[in-house]
Amino acid sequence: MKNIKIRLMLLPLLLSTLALGACSQNAKQDDKNAGTVTSSQGGDGTKSGTIGAGGASGVNSNSTRGDYLPNQNVNNDPNNTNDLTLSGLNDPSNLLSKRVIYFDYNKAGIRPEYMILINTHAKLAAKYPQLKMRLEGHADERGSREYNVALSEQRSQSVKRLMGIQGARSGQIKTIGYGEEVPIVTGHDKDSWQQNRRVEIKYDNY
Amino acid sequence: MRNGNKMDKVSNSKTQIIEKRGGWSIKKAFLPLFSVIFILLSSSTYAELELHISKTSDDGIPIYIANISAGIPGGHNGIIEADLKRSGRFTIVNRSKIPNIASYGETLNAGAYQDIADYIVRGKDNGNGGLFIELVSTTDNAKTNYTITANENPRRPAHKAADLIYEKITRRKGAFDTRLAYVTVTNSTSKNRTFRLYISDSDGNNPQSILSSRRPIMSPAWSPDGSELAYVSFEKNTSAIYVQNIFTGAKRLISAREGINGAPAWSPDGSRIAMSLSINGNPEIYTINTKSGALKRITNSSAIDTEPAWNGTGSIIFTSNRGGSPQLYRISANGGDAQRITFDGKYNSAADIANNKIAFISGNRGAFHVAIKSMSESGKNMLSNGRLDESPTLAPNGAMVAYTTLRNGQNTLAVVSDNGKSRQFLTSPAGDVREPAWSPYLHK
Repeated sequence: MKNIKIRLMLLPLLLSTLALGACSQNAKQDDKNAGTVTSSQGGDGTKSGTIGAGGASGVNSNSTRGDYLPNQNVNNDPNNTNDLTLSGLNDPSNLLSKRVIYFDYNKAGIRPEYMILINTHAKLAAKYPQLKMRLEGHADERGSREYNVALSEQRSQSVKRLMGIQGARSGQIKTIGYGEEVPIVTGHDKDSWQQNRRVEIKYDNY
Repeated sequence: MRNGNKMDKVSNSKTQIIEKRGGWSIKKAFLPLFSVIFILLSSSTYAELELHISKTSDDGIPIYIANISAGIPGGHNGIIEADLKRSGRFTIVNRSKIPNIASYGETLNAGAYQDIADYIVRGKDNGNGGLFIELVSTTDNAKTNYTITANENPRRPAHKAADLIYEKITRRKGAFDTRLAYVTVTNSTSKNRTFRLYISDSDGNNPQSILSSRRPIMSPAWSPDGSELAYVSFEKNTSAIYVQNIFTGAKRLISAREGINGAPAWSPDGSRIAMSLSINGNPEIYTINTKSGALKRITNSSAIDTEPAWNGTGSIIFTSNRGGSPQLYRISANGGDAQRITFDGKYNSAADIANNKIAFISGNRGAFHVAIKSMSESGKNMLSNGRLDESPTLAPNGAMVAYTTLRNGQNTLAVVSDNGKSRQFLTSPAGDVREPAWSPYLHK
């Protein structure tokens, strides 16, 4: 799908205009924890893929920036056509199978490395107007609980706003902030906190 | 009925209301100071809370409590002693220091014990669950007598006795005869994750689950008459605020608007509930009239505004990141301009106010602690030393704070006296315990 590739090439432009809020204060991860992320089940049984080493696309051995970024191998592999199809949502080799976006501490801005992932989902939604999704925002356990609900809702709103720019309709997307109430992992360390600071993209029927 | 449809769904939901937990007993293990453990057992696995005393005051007012047993495990005297210890203002004189003290009703030469205790408490069961209590000053032999009526909860007469003793000696009202609400979570990262809303006596005894759900339950808040709890539920996959009567289990929907419905807080007169709603795009403080349902917007900023706490009926303290980091602000309960009230540290949030004191979370260098200060003076005191403490709630007399802390990797309740001299933990072997909310004074 040439169309997609062309649009992806325009990304640097988008990054500079949209990612201003991201201001990633601390995107670096402990390398020693590489490969510890596993895919997981959401609280209601909805499947959510996890991005990065150990995720659905296999080990990302050349990543220097850490565990939680979209796998560069997937994005850049010319053999890997990120077909905008509904079946792609559950195809581990398709970027659409990745449905978690991670955030910096106490920030709701999108990290630049997630723009491609978000845009790809947004384009799928634009292509299938009947498709509906929920963006479920989460926070790590630090700070107060209701503030974290607000913060996590702002994270899901950030993703929604970006998807809207890419053509997804507002009525297709519901946002919710769960705060720190539904962690993926229970640890009380930097790695656990990073895994818990996330927005999960959940499609109604996929 | 405006919300008729929604109410219907509520009553048909999986929510279980009022699971009465009967039966309890106490085992006391006498270990050295810092590790006295009372295990409060109840009939339900989930209801168990274990009390660990980490710190008691050794320079408090020395008081001797004579044996007042009357069929309560540990005795009424045990309950009174634990209450007074918890306040951080008393040191309990060891029973062995005064062997064979004259029984209640017999002549007591209190002056003979002046070097051992400032006060002596004696008492007896009145035969049907009530108590006769006598407080004697060893300084002047002055006696004060109390008659306490029986209660359905057999531990409450002892808490009432502790309140009266506390008030007589400190000239401040006691708040031991009160309740805690809190949330427990079991299986927190599995599909079987279960949230429960509990109420218990203020010492953690007598726990009863009044609500359970597979989805988060948050932010319990007491009505000023102590009969109802407002809380946040994610039952319908979005947040909503409900109010539930703790005696009848009857519950009603307060707000299920688009976006966040969070952080309920009752005004002291019960006429309004303040909350955080994001119906207009980002979280703002609103009040809702509990009778008419009329909604009033209080804050107006493009930032997060949440966690309202009433400062009297006229003003509200809330958390906002409008200045870049979460800080506490004050605003009139009718709206208008907000003034920032915290300036130290990068994270100040989650205020609770009682008796002109404010407790809140203060974050510094990656750690979050409970702070307390007078509403009318500057300067705060740090009351906790955990790494990730949260959800402070003041006893109605402002003399104790309950909060959540991590202990052995698990969320646990802690209760600390406002002078920092006494601290205890309430842990559950079944999972996380968190978000305590201290009730107002009880009227029945």
